Amino acid sequence: MFLVTELVTLLATNLILTQALGTSTLFIAAGNKKNLLWTAITITVFTSVGSGAAYIVNALLPDGLADLTLLFYTLIIGAIYVLLLTALYFAGSDSFETTRKYVHVSAFNCAVMGTLFTITDRADAYPPLNTFINFVLSGAEAGTGFILAAFILTAAYRKLNSAKVPASFRGFPAMLVYLGLISMAVYALR
Amino acid sequence: MNKKKTAVFDGLLGDNTVLSSLMVISPVIMCGNTLENAIALIYAFSAITFFAVLLGSFVPRRLPYAAKIIINAVIASVVYIPVKSVAREFFPEVITNVGIYFPLLAVNSLIVVQSETRFYRMRRLSMTASLVFYILGFDAVMIVTAFIRELFAYGTIAGRLVDADTLISGLGLPFGGFIFLGLLCGLYRKLRSMSGRGGETGGDGNVSGN
Amino acid sequence: MQTKTKSDRFIWIDIMVTLLTLELMDYFYYGVRAAVLGSVCAAASVAAEMICLRLMHRKFTADDLTSVSDALILSLMLPAVFDLKIAALACVFAVVAAKNIFGGRLNMIFSPAAAAYVFLYTSWKNQLLMFPEPHVRTGVFEKATNLVSSASHSFNITGKMDVTDFEILLGNVSGPAGAVSILLLAVAAVVLLFRRSISAGAFIGSVSATVLLALIVPASVTRAASVKYTLVTNMVLFASVYIVADRRIAPKRDYYAFFYGFFLAAFSYILVITTAKENAIVLVSLLFTPVALGFKNLEKHIELTQLAEQEAAADAEAAELTADGEEAAADE
Repeated sequence: MFLVTELVTLLATNLILTQALGTSTLFIAAGNKKNLLWTAITITVFTSVGSGAAYIVNALLPDGLADLTLLFYTLIIGAIYVLLLTALYFAGSDSFETTRKYVHVSAFNCAVMGTLFTITDRADAYPPLNTFINFVLSGAEAGTGFILAAFILTAAYRKLNSAKVPASFRGFPAMLVYLGLISMAVYALR
Repeated sequence: MNKKKTAVFDGLLGDNTVLSSLMVISPVIMCGNTLENAIALIYAFSAITFFAVLLGSFVPRRLPYAAKIIINAVIASVVYIPVKSVAREFFPEVITNVGIYFPLLAVNSLIVVQSETRFYRMRRLSMTASLVFYILGFDAVMIVTAFIRELFAYGTIAGRLVDADTLISGLGLPFGGFIFLGLLCGLYRKLRSMSGRGGETGGDGNVSGN
Repeated sequence: MQTKTKSDRFIWIDIMVTLLTLELMDYFYYGVRAAVLGSVCAAASVAAEMICLRLMHRKFTADDLTSVSDALILSLMLPAVFDLKIAALACVFAVVAAKNIFGGRLNMIFSPAAAAYVFLYTSWKNQLLMFPEPHVRTGVFEKATNLVSSASHSFNITGKMDVTDFEILLGNVSGPAGAVSILLLAVAAVVLLFRRSISAGAFIGSVSATVLLALIVPASVTRAASVKYTLVTNMVLFASVYIVADRRIAPKRDYYAFFYGFFLAAFSYILVITTAKENAIVLVSLLFTPVALGFKNLEKHIELTQLAEQEAAADAEAAELTADGEEAAADE
């Protein structure tokens, strides 16, 4: 029962199904199972670490300078981007060519940046959520939501790209409608 | 020459930012449900993208790819500050409605990805013209989407009530945005294939970020 | 191929016969308005299907009449007095957005009726969940008055039902007429199961999950009442027959179909008892589409692996025979 409730919560707060954040990144990732897994993992790293850093930025930034939030978030993501690329380079320079593309795709997109803003908004609306641990956990949850949405799309990938689908709708348009119908079911269950 | 001309205008119809490359779709899905939101987002998107890409074109090309991407994003975040201040004056309510989608425009694919893979490979004048058409492409889709969704979801046009007896409130919600954009995307591809511009399957197949 | 087409048509006829019986019951309780609703849905679906097929440069054949059964399934889930225009719109939505965009009946992903129901649920929830009392007749163009919430709604809230078992069996309770005629539905389920027109695995999985959970986590005062009422309310039986066990959507193998139906029904049961969400099974069936697709992908993968293994075994056997032949020739 707990699992079902958690799953419904995960779906109801899913960044892609309810906020359309990172939809295009998802479309790229769903094309290939390996890409999907690595992109989802990389995005989860970005959202988790980024959310932790966003908590620190929020705490240090004076209210009067709220317009600078985006700039600082961008710098955070930029720093994680560089650190991740460096770590991957030193971890295995042979596979670096392959692995770095996931970092490039995952760094600056709505899924990551949207997560930081969404978590901050939620914490502003409900102050008990304004803790470092909650920020990191929420970031990880957003990443997990991305993985879930990616699996939802992957399950239908073959059918959505089938030759039986009208040429005009084959691929991305069919994916959008498919996600829309799933999103509609999620909305109905909220 | 003709080909070059077409490439410059591509962003408006031939290779539309939203419908062909599926870039910047989240604001269209989430906030493209009223004309009021659409106009505020069009202003913000156009201003941020135009100035950020233009300023970013002065970044040395020799720098590593990741460094250039970060610098482009930082430039966009800086451009966002005055754009938001102006928006606060002209669209104070809409900023609240649009919420996080306003700052997210600063990390849109045109700035972060397409600038490097497309715009900065062009001469500055052609780049500026092409950029304008890519921005107009987004603006056009945003207006069309917002007009239709507002009319059928809320029975209003720019906030003014019109005589519509059956309203589909779901069309104003995110899932309505997904489905509507999917249908619009299919229609766009059909029209493009009928006009003899590329195949029906997949636009340029170049989905990038956001 | 021809056998498959033939069998698909027989399935459709079986389903249509049971649906028309339910429509007849609908007419008996709510009069001509219910019949008009069913007809409008069917007409809108056929018209939309014809236009879609024309746009896809395909011919409308007898097989495309499946849109009529989808339309009737939807109409039986609606209040008899539901707005005809909105019902027609939902049917068009089902045919266009949930079916033909993905390639139509050749490439089914969603149950069109479930998608249309959720579409209505998200935009016209109040109208969708208010029903006339049985035997209250409303004219075709008359506006319905004195609508009440369904018996499922009161059960979800109170855990009780104030009607006799006989009335429940006959469907003499407020709710969508097609979905509350339990006796007819039970007969339809048995007939369709025996004629293999619905997925037995998915149907049994769905019913067994509901029964099991109703016993373990009762939604009513007694376990017996819990099992009885959870099966007859919230369109559980109707959806288990016509949506969950839809052969076009459920996994092909009964083994996988069972788990698909089981998880789907378990998920919806938990939603009903935790959130009192009315008719959760229909909403969840749309959400579980990726699960069905996942199972189907797995089936395909297993089929391909088995085929490859068979081919490899046949190749090995052939190689062995050739080697034996060569050996025999050398011996000679």
